[in-house]
Amino acid sequence: MSHSASNQPILDPRHALPFPKAVLPVLRNPQLRKNVAHAIDVIQSKRAKLVAEKTDWQELRTAADAMRMHVLENLGAYLEQFEQRCTERGGIVHWAADADEARRIVLDILREEKASEVIKIKTMTSAEIQLNPYLDTNGVKAYETDLAEIILQLGEQEPSHIVVPALHVNRSQVREIFSRTMGLKDLSDEPRELTNAARHYLRRKFLEIPTAISGANFLVAETGAVAVVESEGNGRMCLTLPKAMITIAGIEKVLPRFQDLEVVLQLLGRSATGERMNPYNSIWTGVTPGDGPERFHVILLDNGRSSILASEHERQTLKCIRCAACMNACPVYRQTGGHAYGSVYPGPIGAILTPQLMQMNYAQSLPYASSLCGACYEVCPVKINIPEVLLDLRAQVTNRERKDLKRFFDPMYLGLRVANLLFSRAWLFHTAQFFGRIGLGLFTGSDGWIHWLPSVGGKWTQTRDLRGLPSQTFHEWWAARNKEAQ
Amino acid sequence: MTTAVSSRKKIYDRIRSATKSVAKNDAARAEAYAALPRPYVHTGQLSRKQTLDLMIERLREYEAGVTETTPAELPAAIAQKLAASGHRKFVVPPALPAEWLAAGYEWKVDNGLASEEIETAEGVVTAAFCAVADSGTIVLHHSASEGRRVISLLPDFHLCILRTSQIVETLPEYFRRCAQPPALATTISGPSATADIEMTRIKGVHGPRFLEVILVNDEEAR
Repeated sequence: MSHSASNQPILDPRHALPFPKAVLPVLRNPQLRKNVAHAIDVIQSKRAKLVAEKTDWQELRTAADAMRMHVLENLGAYLEQFEQRCTERGGIVHWAADADEARRIVLDILREEKASEVIKIKTMTSAEIQLNPYLDTNGVKAYETDLAEIILQLGEQEPSHIVVPALHVNRSQVREIFSRTMGLKDLSDEPRELTNAARHYLRRKFLEIPTAISGANFLVAETGAVAVVESEGNGRMCLTLPKAMITIAGIEKVLPRFQDLEVVLQLLGRSATGERMNPYNSIWTGVTPGDGPERFHVILLDNGRSSILASEHERQTLKCIRCAACMNACPVYRQTGGHAYGSVYPGPIGAILTPQLMQMNYAQSLPYASSLCGACYEVCPVKINIPEVLLDLRAQVTNRERKDLKRFFDPMYLGLRVANLLFSRAWLFHTAQFFGRIGLGLFTGSDGWIHWLPSVGGKWTQTRDLRGLPSQTFHEWWAARNKEAQ
Repeated sequence: MTTAVSSRKKIYDRIRSATKSVAKNDAARAEAYAALPRPYVHTGQLSRKQTLDLMIERLREYEAGVTETTPAELPAAIAQKLAASGHRKFVVPPALPAEWLAAGYEWKVDNGLASEEIETAEGVVTAAFCAVADSGTIVLHHSASEGRRVISLLPDFHLCILRTSQIVETLPEYFRRCAQPPALATTISGPSATADIEMTRIKGVHGPRFLEVILVNDEEAR
C-alpha cells in the first residue's frame, strides 16, 4: 500500500476508511497475506519458546502491571521528577499538547541547529505525529535508519506493524526497492546482501549528519535518563555520533526508578522479537561531556494521552510498552496485516489506543475489529485487558451514535428500538414471532436455510447463512406438550 | 516561549485533574512504590560454574567467539585473538592496562578521537562493567576502561575482556551491582543484528559484526 494520490497519509485516522472497507483490498492480496502470516508465525514460535523457559514469566507480568499502573496514577509527580532530573543533567525538556505543537517544536530546534537533514531512529511517536511529511514540506530531509523503515521510506510504503514495520514486504520486493532507489543493478534477494546494501547506504549519513531524532522506550524519573531498545545499532549511531539529539516521548513512558528497568527489559525483548534480550539497549542521562551529543532535547508528547488517563477503565491502555505481542497473537491481524487499521498503531492495542487518542471522534470502527477471543490479553506483558477496553469503547461508540439524529432512521438502530419494544411485552413478542415466521418464510430456501436478506439483514447473509425459523416456537411446543400430558 | 510554558502547565493540569482521585502525596506514593509486588526471580539458583557455562552458551548462540583464560595468561590470549582477527588497527579506551596492548599492532588510544578517525580503526578492545548469563548480555557503563560509546560501535570487530567475577546470572543481580545508577549504559546481547527481512536473523547491520569475548577467571585464584 503506497501513499494515496491526494498526498494524505493513509495511516491518519482522520482520513482512513472504516476497518471493514479498508480491509477489502488486503483480503484480495494473497502475497501480502502470505508475507504477514509467515512473519507472524516466526515471531510467535520464538516468543512461545522463550516465554515457556522463563520460570517467573507470570511474576514479571504481575510486577510490570502493578508498576505501570502505579506510574499512571501518579504520572504528574513522576513526570515532574523526570523533568527536573533531566534538566539538571543538561537536557532541555519541551511539552507538546498535541501533534501540531510537537512538530513545530522539532522544526524550531532543527532551524536553531541549521539542519537541512536529520537521521532518525524508528520511533512510533514521530509516526503518530506524521513528522516526516511535515519536515519534508519545511525543507528538512529525514533519513530513517532502521532497516525496515528504510525499506518503507525508499519504497514509499506505510508501516504495518509497530516492531517489524515492513513485515508485509518479502525479500524480492525489498530487492526491487533497493536496486531501484540505490542504483544497485546486480543486487540479489539474499537478506544478507540486502542488509549490507543498507549498511553502506547509511554509513556516510551517520558520520555526516549532525542531528538526530529518536523516540523513547522508557524514561526514568529518578535519574532523568532515557532508554532506547533496538537491534541493529542504528540507534546507537544516532544517539552517539550527532551533535544534537531530539527525543520525542509519550508522557506515559516514565518509570519511577532505574532499577525498574529490570522488570520491563526482561519482558520487552521476549515479547517483541522472541529474544532473551535484544542486541542493544542504550540508556543515557542528559548530556555527558565528551561522549555523545552536546545538545539534548526531550519533547514530552500528550496528544490525547491525558484524556485516556482520566477514565478509570481505559487508563490501563497507557500501560503499553509497545511490544506488539498482541498483534502477533491476534487472529484478525494475522489475516489483515496492519494497514487496514488506518493508524500507525494497528492490531488489538491500536484498536483501543487509536480511537482514544482521537478522543473517539475518529476510528470508531476499530473497537469492532476483534473477535474478543482474548489472545491479546493473555500475551500482554503488562496485562492490559484489551477485550474489556474494546467492549467499553464499543459501548461509547454506540452511545454516541444513538444520540446522533441522522442515525434515528438508520435501519439498524430502528430495528433495535423495535426489538426493544417487542421484547418488553409478551403479546407483542408472540405477534412478532407469528409475522416474522411468515415474513422470513419468504426468504427460506427448501434446505431450511436463509441465504439472502434485504437491507440491514443483508449484513448477516453477506458472509453467512441463517437458519430459517422453525415451524413451532418453544412456547407453542411447551404448551402443546402440557396439553398432551393432561 | 509563552506557548511552551502554557503547554507545560496545560498538560500538568490535565494530568492532575485526570488522576486527582488516585494520585498520592509524596509520602504515600513512596510507600505505595515500596509496596509494589516484585515476586519475580531476583537471585539466580545456578552454581558459579553453571552460571559461567550458561554465559558461554548464550554468547556462542549469538555467534560470538568465547575464550577462557587466567589472569596470568590474559595478554597472550588477547594477542592470539588479535592475530586471529586479521586486523591491524585498533582503538582502545584510555585506561586499559598497557600489557593488554600486544606489540605489532597499531593502537589508537581514545582521548577524544574524532568519529572519522575511529571509523578507520578495524577493531576495538574494551573491558566491561558486568555481564548477565541468563540472556548473554554484556553491560558497559563507559568508564575509562570501557570507553566512550562511539568506540565500541564504529569498528567492525569488538574484543571484550570480561572477568568471571563480573558475571551474574539474572538481570536483577546486575541492577543490584549498580551502587549508583550510571549516567550512560549500553547492553550488548550478541553482535548487531536484524530480522527485518522475512524474519531471517542477519548478523551485523550497523554495529560491530564480530564480537569476541575473553573470560578471565579471577575467582578461583582467590
